[in-house]
Amino acid sequence: MRLPRFFAKKRGHRRTGSRDWGVFGDGLFHGTLLVAGLCFGAILVSGVAAPEWRINHEFRESKGMILAKGLARTTVADPPGTVTTSWRPCLRVRYLTDGTLRESWSHGPSADNTPDREAALRRLAEWKLGEETACWYDPSAPETVVLQRGYSWWLWLLSLLLPGALVLIGGTGLVRGLRAWGKSEEHRAASVGLSELLDPLAQPAQAAPGYPAVPVWDDLVNSPGTILRYRLPIESPESWTMVGFGLFAVLWNAVVVVLAVGAGLDLLGGRIDWWLFALLVPFLGVGIGGGVLFARSLVFATAVGPTQLEISDHPMLPGRRYDVLLAQGGTGTIRSLTLSLELEEQATFRQGTDTRTEHVVVWKQLVADFHDVSAEPHSRFEARAVVEVPENAMHSFTSAHNAVRWRLVVRGTPERWPVFSRIFPVVVFPPSAELPVPPPRPPASRDALRSTEVTR
Amino acid sequence: MNTAADRGPAMPRVEVQFDRPHRQHEPRDQVAVRYRIEGCDGERIRAIEHSVLWYTEGKGEEDLGVHFFQRITDRAMMPPALSTGAFSTPLPQSPLSYEGRIVKVRWCVRVRLFFDGSRDFVSEHVFVLGRIPPVRLSESRA
Repeated sequence: MRLPRFFAKKRGHRRTGSRDWGVFGDGLFHGTLLVAGLCFGAILVSGVAAPEWRINHEFRESKGMILAKGLARTTVADPPGTVTTSWRPCLRVRYLTDGTLRESWSHGPSADNTPDREAALRRLAEWKLGEETACWYDPSAPETVVLQRGYSWWLWLLSLLLPGALVLIGGTGLVRGLRAWGKSEEHRAASVGLSELLDPLAQPAQAAPGYPAVPVWDDLVNSPGTILRYRLPIESPESWTMVGFGLFAVLWNAVVVVLAVGAGLDLLGGRIDWWLFALLVPFLGVGIGGGVLFARSLVFATAVGPTQLEISDHPMLPGRRYDVLLAQGGTGTIRSLTLSLELEEQATFRQGTDTRTEHVVVWKQLVADFHDVSAEPHSRFEARAVVEVPENAMHSFTSAHNAVRWRLVVRGTPERWPVFSRIFPVVVFPPSAELPVPPPRPPASRDALRSTEVTR
Repeated sequence: MNTAADRGPAMPRVEVQFDRPHRQHEPRDQVAVRYRIEGCDGERIRAIEHSVLWYTEGKGEEDLGVHFFQRITDRAMMPPALSTGAFSTPLPQSPLSYEGRIVKVRWCVRVRLFFDGSRDFVSEHVFVLGRIPPVRLSESRA
């Protein structure tokens, strides 16, 4: 018998893995998760959930008298070399079982265990010696008696959530593997329905109705323009950079604050931990640096002002011309402002354990170019231009790991700030497409009229 | 000298004929395919799959979209009873064939033979949907 090879065909500089070994490894991984989930669930159910359920459903009620009380101590070597002690209130009860008078120490729920001895004593003080109270005993082992019933909801949640998650992940993985077993890749791809549920991450983006692999454009036309039909949504790389800097600054400085509080408390206590201070200095430097970068990108984002782009129709068709309105707000002078139509390819691939995405602009056309543009707070710069999609252009395309995207890009060079770029995605349909009837154009608002007046 | 048994199972041949010259199709056209299977050397075929699909090539992971799929398990419709077959389907409006820099979209017809046991053999025949010219960097105008 010949074992399957670990590597199959070669793709460029990368080798694809063997499908048989891949299926075997996938099945082994998900099978292990499923078995672990079932075992873990069985332990939790038999050790925690089932005893509680029996107390609440099978134990018989009786009347008992408290004769003595004390704390039960449990000592566990955890981790090895150290000892953890927990305490639980215990009560000596005299009670009647089927005409027989018995005495026994009560079995409290395991949730009663606490490492805080004082807390256990406080709970014990709630019980009075000589007091008569209801109790419940096990009919199959009458010496087992409890004075309280109920459920530990967090134990039930734990016994359901953790093993449930393992069983769900392992089970869906196994079902997915079994469904694909012995099927060709075409057969698997043609099977619809359950595969979307079993592997939602591998599904491609939603496609336009009747146009497979052409992205939907609903999100691009839900905002009416002030002068032209639609205002296009913006994708700003600088905004994401700013969010990244902000998150980094907040998280890093939170660590710095924790370290500084620890160092401050040490100082107040008259101790100086030189290692902590040595660690604090570079951390503080990085924290200040992160804050400065965030503040700088925030000032930059707000100082340049918003860019808006409106278009006369959307989605676009090859060979057609479209009016666009470029509006730039903010203050100050922008030395150069350009508008271009670009076609970008995007490919996502795995390299080792990393997932990488590469973007390449494969076609670019300058639509309009403006120099020494000055914008003022109450009078934004506005200009019209015409965009033409080439007659033989590729349509917008998107699949799970690959995309061909069209976009209008505004690039500016402000006088006092770094260069900025703002991206407005658009969707281009195939040349033969019959576009759906667009929704009626909303009436122009007062803002639109005012905007027209300030057009230069 | 190698014997037939040393060489392992025979490699079948699937000859495919498209209804259009140069395998050039337009969106919403009907693509019709006839094929002939040869060289099975008595190996029994238990199923044949016909599919018309697109797939991506290039730097990214391969994506696949099956437009038409048909699985035949009727012994009377496959060798040795019948060594030819045909199928047809209207083509969709997208995605069009595309030859980009890091993303390529290709359309093809596949005939996959499943032999008794676990062996299968696939024959792939690429065709072109639409008339999108290949991307050339010199086309870019800045």
